[in-house]
Amino acid sequence: MSETELMPWEKIGPKFKKSYKRAGMLIELDRCIGCHSCSVSCKTENEVPLGNFRMRVRYLEQPDNKQISFTPLICMHCVDAPCLKACPSKAIRKQDDGRIYIDESRCDLEKECVEACPYGAISINVEKEVAEKCDFCQHRTDVGLEPACVDNCPTDALVFGDLDDPESKISKLAAKRKAKPWKPEAKTNPSVLYVKHEKWMESKVNTGVQLDPKDQDITYEQNNLGK
Amino acid sequence: MSDLTRRHLLKLGSTLLAGAFTPLNVSAKTSEINWGKLGRLDYTKAKATPTICFACTNHCGVIGWEQDGIVRKIEGNPLDPNSQGNICSKAQGMISYTYYPERILYPLRRVGKRGEGKWKRITWDEAYDELAAKLRPLRENGTPEEFVFHYGRDKTKGVTKHFTNAFGTPHRLNRRSICSSNRRAPLMSFYGRDFEWETQDLENTKYCVNFGGNPYEAYQGGLFMVHRLQRARVEKGAKLVTFEVRPSNTASKSDEFHTLMPGTDGAVAGAMIHTILKENLQDEKFWNRWSNYSLEDLRKQVKDYTPEWAEQKSGVKASDIKRIAIEFAKAAPACCTMSNRGSAKHYNGMQADRLIRTLDVLVGNVGKPGGYCLSSLRGWSGHYGQEGLPKLKLPEPKASSPKPWGLGEGFNETAFKKLPKEIQDRVNNFPDKWRKKYFGELATPSEYPLSWHWYSMRVGQLVYPYIQEGRQKVSVYMSFTLGASFGYPEANVVREVLQDEKLIPFHVAIDIGYGEQSALADMILPEATSLERWDYHSTNNYGLIPYTGVRQPLVKPQGESKTMPQMFRELAHKIGGGMEKHFTYKDDESFYKDWYKNLPMEWEEFKRRGIWQDATREKDYELYERPLTEAELKDASVPKGEGELVQKGGKVIGIVKDGKPVRGFPTPNRKINVFDPIFEEAAKAVGLPLTDGNASSAPVFHDVPEHVNLADDHYIFSTFKWNVHTQGRSGHWKYNAEIIHTNPVFMHPDTGKALGVKEGDSVELSVFRPHGHTYRAKEEGIMGSFQNHVRFLKGMHPKVVMCSHHVGHFEHGIVGKSDTKESLPKAAKTPSLVDQDLKGGVWWSKKNGGIGGGVHINDALPINPAPLIGGQNWYDNVCKIEKV
Repeated sequence: MSETELMPWEKIGPKFKKSYKRAGMLIELDRCIGCHSCSVSCKTENEVPLGNFRMRVRYLEQPDNKQISFTPLICMHCVDAPCLKACPSKAIRKQDDGRIYIDESRCDLEKECVEACPYGAISINVEKEVAEKCDFCQHRTDVGLEPACVDNCPTDALVFGDLDDPESKISKLAAKRKAKPWKPEAKTNPSVLYVKHEKWMESKVNTGVQLDPKDQDITYEQNNLGK
Repeated sequence: MSDLTRRHLLKLGSTLLAGAFTPLNVSAKTSEINWGKLGRLDYTKAKATPTICFACTNHCGVIGWEQDGIVRKIEGNPLDPNSQGNICSKAQGMISYTYYPERILYPLRRVGKRGEGKWKRITWDEAYDELAAKLRPLRENGTPEEFVFHYGRDKTKGVTKHFTNAFGTPHRLNRRSICSSNRRAPLMSFYGRDFEWETQDLENTKYCVNFGGNPYEAYQGGLFMVHRLQRARVEKGAKLVTFEVRPSNTASKSDEFHTLMPGTDGAVAGAMIHTILKENLQDEKFWNRWSNYSLEDLRKQVKDYTPEWAEQKSGVKASDIKRIAIEFAKAAPACCTMSNRGSAKHYNGMQADRLIRTLDVLVGNVGKPGGYCLSSLRGWSGHYGQEGLPKLKLPEPKASSPKPWGLGEGFNETAFKKLPKEIQDRVNNFPDKWRKKYFGELATPSEYPLSWHWYSMRVGQLVYPYIQEGRQKVSVYMSFTLGASFGYPEANVVREVLQDEKLIPFHVAIDIGYGEQSALADMILPEATSLERWDYHSTNNYGLIPYTGVRQPLVKPQGESKTMPQMFRELAHKIGGGMEKHFTYKDDESFYKDWYKNLPMEWEEFKRRGIWQDATREKDYELYERPLTEAELKDASVPKGEGELVQKGGKVIGIVKDGKPVRGFPTPNRKINVFDPIFEEAAKAVGLPLTDGNASSAPVFHDVPEHVNLADDHYIFSTFKWNVHTQGRSGHWKYNAEIIHTNPVFMHPDTGKALGVKEGDSVELSVFRPHGHTYRAKEEGIMGSFQNHVRFLKGMHPKVVMCSHHVGHFEHGIVGKSDTKESLPKAAKTPSLVDQDLKGGVWWSKKNGGIGGGVHINDALPINPAPLIGGQNWYDNVCKIEKV
């Protein structure tokens, strides 16, 4: 069967792998509807245990308005990644395409990475006894698929691609929509960029209160954002 | 785990982690499916199969990925023209429930008292033999109606009806009144079909006015709508205006969000009509061509509905209402309304939706690009809008429908004579058209004739009180994927009835899990899940070109679970007595293959794609203007006069417009019935005073009776659905429950101030009985109450408090109950299903120091059917609130 006759889900394998100079993600907050498809898809895909999130969607009541904003947050795959520098066992490495990857076999749970990350993107997987975080679904991108969260976002709020290729969809969109990093003052040069991001979100996202004021906020506690 | 590691982990110091240290007592058998420990999927080895999602009412085309015999991931099927490859978080829930360690996989028979939780495993033969022995005599003795089948979610698209028809019982009960009958009635009245409801052309709309619809979270078709709406908004600048009582995700993503008083959507719509007429912005040509009501009469009808009047009712500023009405009309025809439970689940909801529907007719956007369109309804059998599509039908030899009840030749007199005299008298006074459709009080409640005038919507929430009152004798009660004892209003009454062995001598529950309903059964039959079975699928397409898809099994049914077609086939053969003649297939695949045999595509290719559509077919715009084809006109009588009806074989098939026969709308007069005498006729038949707004033949705004002069210390208590949940079905889907497992009381900060409560404080909510002409109206005192803690949200209407209704399960195992231990009866326990993740319980369990699983609120919500139609008025409840 020729490739043109293949169904989209039949085009899987190393030969369909796309190469990226700098793998990145664009998150258009005005498209996001807070549906949690990304986070639940991520957990199913990566067997993320209850209590851990690699992708999390925050509901934030707007300070001067009665509406709620929705913000997906993941590992920012920083060019200057503090976690990578902090890891004493060298379990965290940068792949050729710039993505930050935790080698689970080398992780000895020093937890320095959790402390170092300004975005609260790393958590401890108690069952596996390793630190874990998003790796842009390496196993999917290796066979030509997009990360699970991107594929399963129903409103195309997440775009994955090559930030160093000016002709890529992500680069064009980032330019057109004036995408910005989350917490630029952390000076980590993230490869995840946001559209319609507002400064108030950054402090509020770490205050812990989601929609139930009495519930534990696990991503807040576990990802060490209370520091 | 080394001490060093443990110390490091404990350094994190959160209570949630403490729970996770429970020893992992896992016996690693090779046959086990240890969910959570399978490793990442290898996509080069895994098999992809297209199927249809079953996690909510949307039914999106999906691809299931299976490796080593286990379904590991759900993705969207890009070939589905409705979802266009999009899915939501609930899709992964299918995996959660298929491999839930507390899933029921064997037939069970109660051994202790009913509800005591003691069961033994039985074989399918034992189950069938006992069931057939109970059912057979009912058929033989001429009392088949004593077999009552009641479903919560039935997407077999005819299989269960085929069984109840072959058996001879009219009692195939549903939950439409719980869901949508107040909203479907206006569609049936206006357009003659509810078309699975309207299919707005959201991709191309410029302006959408939303009355309490929440497609961004939970709405039949919501996912199909929302990706189109978001594209239209973000890429093309379309405007979405929402009237809501809380900051729902839809309200939060809307370009304008106006909080309004519950039950006043009709007032706002009425004032919009008033404004459009005053500004002369109506599409007079369209109105006069297609509506059955004169503009002059409409003007009179809405004369007093000024924006200022509507502001007083709704709290929405008159200037906003005026501006929105003008913007809406000026965007025509690329504009549309949207409404759902927010407008409809009220005492006045049926009329509110009639006013909202009138807006679209008035600006002439019906069937236009970007407008309010109607698309092919499900079941391809040549209905209106399905012209030229291959006919698809259930392939078994058809069983005739049961005989209607009543006196005289051709009626089931025996069953009729058992009814209380008062009911017999009422039915005997019904016009013939209704007497011929009357099938007793459970199927066709005589006080709610509109619930079965168009088709059988029924009044599900009255089934249990009616059984209690003795309106129908029940011998065998079969519930199918039904959570009435958890999710119906006054769920305590449901449980009372199900506990009573005199009222329900035998209850067999068909389900995949041990829920609140199956816990009260005498026998449980395990059903195969949506990842293990076939189903026929079609629904309205927001891309406006009909399509069909197939749900197909990705894996074999776990344990001894069976599909419904298989179960009913085998049971019918056990019952015998002629029933077996209607069940001729040997296996499911050949049955479904024949169902689709008219599709112009090979079966294997259809299975490979999962979807069939003729994408070259014209979009469903302006179906009503389409000329009748030569084939349709063969043997038809075509009159000459403008507006006269075209008839064929005693049926009206079109209308003459501009001297030519066109289809028109599928109503008896082929027009849009803005005015409909059926409401007055129904009111007269049941003695509803004509002063009640529900009795009005013209669309009208009328107040919710118990909201009039609402006391300062009384509030409206309303409920809502979360995006990660689907009714009461999803409480045990672990990843979804992890995100939402509680239901705090949402209120405006000012409401908190008035009540003297702070965020996080606990309050007691006490609910009163409703007023109007409804069930147990005006009974004094509190009908139910519960306690929960408060969350402030600025987007709440200050007179409204809200809780979601999904949580607070008292069955459904370790996740459903937010527990630390499994609670599935031992006899049902399945050693093959293990979930590493659930060892030690869920982190939010109270026993692990968490908040627990929320509060069950449905016992405190009164049964409150709207007059004539019977739709549950979920959002009318008046309550008082006290700080605990």
